[in-house]
Amino acid sequence: MPDFFSTSVFIPLTWGTAGQVILLGFIGGILSGFIGSGGAFFMTPGMMNLGVAGPIAVASNITHKFGKAMVGQKRHGDLGHVDKKLGIFMLATAAVGINLAVFVVKHLFAGGSDPLSNAKGDLYISVVFVVVLAAVSLSMARDLIASRKSGDTQPSRRIVDLLARLRLHPLIRFPVADVSVSLWVVLFCGLATGYLAGTIGVGGFVGVPAMIYVFGVPAQVAAGTELYLAMFMGAYGALNYGFQGMVDIRLTVLLLIGSLFGIHLGTYGTKVVREIVIRLVTTSIILLCVVSRAINIPVYLRQLGLVDFDPAWDTTFNLASKALLYASGLTGAGLILIFVIKANLYRRRVQASLVTTPQGTARA
Amino acid sequence: MQIVCVSRGTFGGGKQLAETLAKKLGCVCLSREEINDAATAAGIAVGKLELAVTQRRPLNEWLNIEKERYKAFVTQNLADRALAGPMVYHGRHAHLQLPNVSHVMRVRAIMDADMRTALTMQRLGLPRDKATIYNEQVDEDRARWARTVYNIDWQDPGQYDAVINLSRVKADNAASALVTMTQLPEFQAAPADRRQLTDLSLACRCRLAVGADARTRLSDVQVKAREGRVLLTYLPRHHQLAKIFPEVLAGIDGIGELTCTMASTNLMWVRERFAEDDAELEQIVDLASRWDAAVELVRLGSTEAADAPALESALLGAAQQADDRAGLGGILDDTANVELDYGDPGVNQTMQRLTSSGRVGGFRAVRGGTKELLTGIDRTASYSLVVIGQVFLDKPAPVRKRLTRELIGFLADKLKVPVVEAAELKAHYSFGWTQGLRLILTGAATAGLVALVLNHQVEILSFLTGPGTLHRALCAAALFAFAPVFAYLHGQFSHHVLRLFRFE
Repeated sequence: MPDFFSTSVFIPLTWGTAGQVILLGFIGGILSGFIGSGGAFFMTPGMMNLGVAGPIAVASNITHKFGKAMVGQKRHGDLGHVDKKLGIFMLATAAVGINLAVFVVKHLFAGGSDPLSNAKGDLYISVVFVVVLAAVSLSMARDLIASRKSGDTQPSRRIVDLLARLRLHPLIRFPVADVSVSLWVVLFCGLATGYLAGTIGVGGFVGVPAMIYVFGVPAQVAAGTELYLAMFMGAYGALNYGFQGMVDIRLTVLLLIGSLFGIHLGTYGTKVVREIVIRLVTTSIILLCVVSRAINIPVYLRQLGLVDFDPAWDTTFNLASKALLYASGLTGAGLILIFVIKANLYRRRVQASLVTTPQGTARA
Repeated sequence: MQIVCVSRGTFGGGKQLAETLAKKLGCVCLSREEINDAATAAGIAVGKLELAVTQRRPLNEWLNIEKERYKAFVTQNLADRALAGPMVYHGRHAHLQLPNVSHVMRVRAIMDADMRTALTMQRLGLPRDKATIYNEQVDEDRARWARTVYNIDWQDPGQYDAVINLSRVKADNAASALVTMTQLPEFQAAPADRRQLTDLSLACRCRLAVGADARTRLSDVQVKAREGRVLLTYLPRHHQLAKIFPEVLAGIDGIGELTCTMASTNLMWVRERFAEDDAELEQIVDLASRWDAAVELVRLGSTEAADAPALESALLGAAQQADDRAGLGGILDDTANVELDYGDPGVNQTMQRLTSSGRVGGFRAVRGGTKELLTGIDRTASYSLVVIGQVFLDKPAPVRKRLTRELIGFLADKLKVPVVEAAELKAHYSFGWTQGLRLILTGAATAGLVALVLNHQVEILSFLTGPGTLHRALCAAALFAFAPVFAYLHGQFSHHVLRLFRFE
C-alpha cells in the first residue's frame, strides 16, 4: 500500500483523515443548506489542508456535487422550482466553461506527482478562489453595511438596472422563472459559472446570485435551477475528471456521508433565522475562508521559486490557514446548529396555540 | 349591494368604463391610485414595493412584510366600502382584492394593441415604436406584479365574469350592459357574502395593527378571521412576540376569540366530514407537530350530499352568534369558557383537538367541487402538503376513488405542492415498520458501499487511474453511475434517520 500512495497523486487515508473529510462534508452540507449554494468553498480548501492536491480535491468535490444535485433537483422539480429552459441555456456555455477549466487545470498539473506542478495547480486554484470569493463576500459585506445605514435590506441592484437599460437583443423568455433575459447575458453567466465550477468547484456561488441579481429570477427557482444545472455540470465534471483519473472516490463517498446529513440541518436553519443574520453569517464565513486560502499562497509561491523564505515557515502558514478555515467553518456551522437546536427546543416546549378572548382569558 | 371590480391595463379604457358604470349605478367609484395614495400616507412602502417588482428584484424579508401590509390595506378599504353600499373599483388586478366574496362582479377591460399604441402615442407624445415597447413593458410589469403579489396569472380569462373589448364596444354601451348584468342573481349579496366581507375587514385590520405596532412591525404573520374568531400564525423566529400579539390586537372591535399559532408552514386537510375520534386526525397532528405546521381544515361538500344541511350550517356558521356579538359591541358574554360554534360538531371537536395541540390553522367550508376549492385558497400562503381525506361520500366507491384521484392531480398541478390521500399519509410521512425496514436496508447498502470502497482502496484507485482510452472511458462511466446511486441510498438513509428523530 505505501508504494501505491507514494507514487500516486492520492493521499493515504487514515481513520483520522476519513473522519475529518466526513466532518468537512457535514459542515459544508450545513453551510450549503443554510446559504442555498456553495459548501465547496469550505470543502475544497479543507481537503487541500489535509494534504489532498488541489485538482484532486476539486475533482472529488465536483463528483460529490453531482450525486447531491441529482437527488436535490428532483425534489425542487416536483415543487415547480426548476426552469429547465433557463438551465439548458446556461448549460450550453457552462459545459464549455468546465471544459476550459479542466484543460487549464490539467495543463498546469501535467506533472502528476511532481511537487512543482502540484504547487502550480494549487497556486492557480488558490488565486482564483481568493479573487472570486473575495469579490463576492466584499460585495455582500458592502450591501450589509449599506442596508444597516439606510434601513433597507435590499441587495445591490446596479447590475439589474444596468442590464434593464441595455436590453441586449435577442431577449429570451423563461416561463417558469417569469423573466426575459438577453441571450448574451445568459451565455456569459453560464460560461463563468461553468469555468468556476470546473476550477474551484464553487459554481453555485456565481450561478445563484447571477440568476437572482442579474436575471431577476425568484430565489427558490434560482436554487432549483442551479441544482438542475449543477447536476449536468457535476456529471460533466465527474466524467471529465474521471477520464483524467483525478477523482478520489474515497473522498467523494466520505463527503457525501457528511453533507447529506448537514444539508437537512442547514435548510432547517433558514426557517428559524432572520434574513439579515443569514447574510451576516454567510459573508463572515466566506471572508474567513478567503483569508485562510490567501495565507497559503506564499507557500506555493516559495515552492515555485517566486519568493524566498525559510521552508520551515510552510508549517506555520499551513497551520494558520487550517486553523482559520476550521474556525470559520466550525463557528458558522456551530452558530447555525445553535439556532436549529434552540428553535427545535422551543418548538417542543411550546406545544399549544395561545387562545385569548376579549376578557383576557387564555388557555393553551 | 353590487360590487364591481374592473381590472384594467394602461390606456385600455378601463377607467372610463368604471366611471361610467358607477354613474349609471349611482354608486361610489374608487380607483387603485386613490387607495395607493392612502396606503402611502399610512406608511406602507408602496413605491419601493412597485420598484422592486418592476425592476425584477427579489423581495427581501422587509418587502415581503410590506407586501402583506399593502394587500391588507387595499382589501380592508374595499371591504369596508363594500359593506357601506354598492361600489365600483377599478385598477390593476382589481378582481383579486376581495377573495371569496362570491357576489363580486369581476370585469376585465381590454383594448386591441393598435388602439392602445395610438392612445399611448397621443397621451405620452411618443413615436409608434417607443409606444409599443412602452405598452409591452407595462404589461410585463403587470404580469410580474400579479405573480409576485398574488401568485396568479393575470391573463387567465377564467378569473373574470366578463371580458369587454373596448376597441369594439363603447364605454357607455359596455357600462349599460354591465348594469343589466349586475341585476343577475349571481351578483346579488347573500348573508354569507356580507359575513365574508366582515371577516376580510377584521382580518385585514388585525394584520395592519400588527404592522403598525413598533414591537411587531417586522414580524411575518398571516391573519385569518371567521365569525369573529381571529387566527394569527407567526414564524418560529418571532416566538418572543407570542404574548405581545394579543396586546397589539386587544383594541380591535369584532374579535370574539384570538388564537396565535406558531408555524413555519401550512398543511391543508380536506374532508367532507370531520370527527374527533379519528386515526387520521392523530396522524395529521403528529405530522404538523414535526413540521411546525398549522393545519387548515377544509370541509368540501356538494349540495347533493346527504348531509347538505350540515354543510349549509357550516357555511352559514354562527351567523346568529355573530349577530349577537354585534349587539354586544363585539364583546363576548362573561362566561370564560364560551365556545363559538362552527356549525358542525365534528369540526368543533377537531378544531378543539388542533387548538390543544397548538396546530390550529383555520377552517373553511366549501360547497361545490374542485374549482370552488381552489378559488378559496390564498395562493401566496406557504403550504407544504395537502391531505385529501374522505370526500365525495355521496358517490359510489369506484366513482369516489376516481374523483379523489382527479382532485389530487388537479390540486397538485395548480398548487405545486405535494397532495396525498390520507390513506397514504402513514406510508409517506410517518415512521412505521416499512420506514424502519427502509432505514435498515438503505443503511446496510450505504455501509456496504463505504466498506467496499475503503477496504479496496488501492484496487479501486488503481482501476480509476489505469491507462488506455477505453479503460479511462470505463472509469468515467463507473464514477458517473456510482455517485448518484450512493447519493440516493445515503440520502434515503439520512432522511429516514432524521424522520426517526422527528427532525424534518
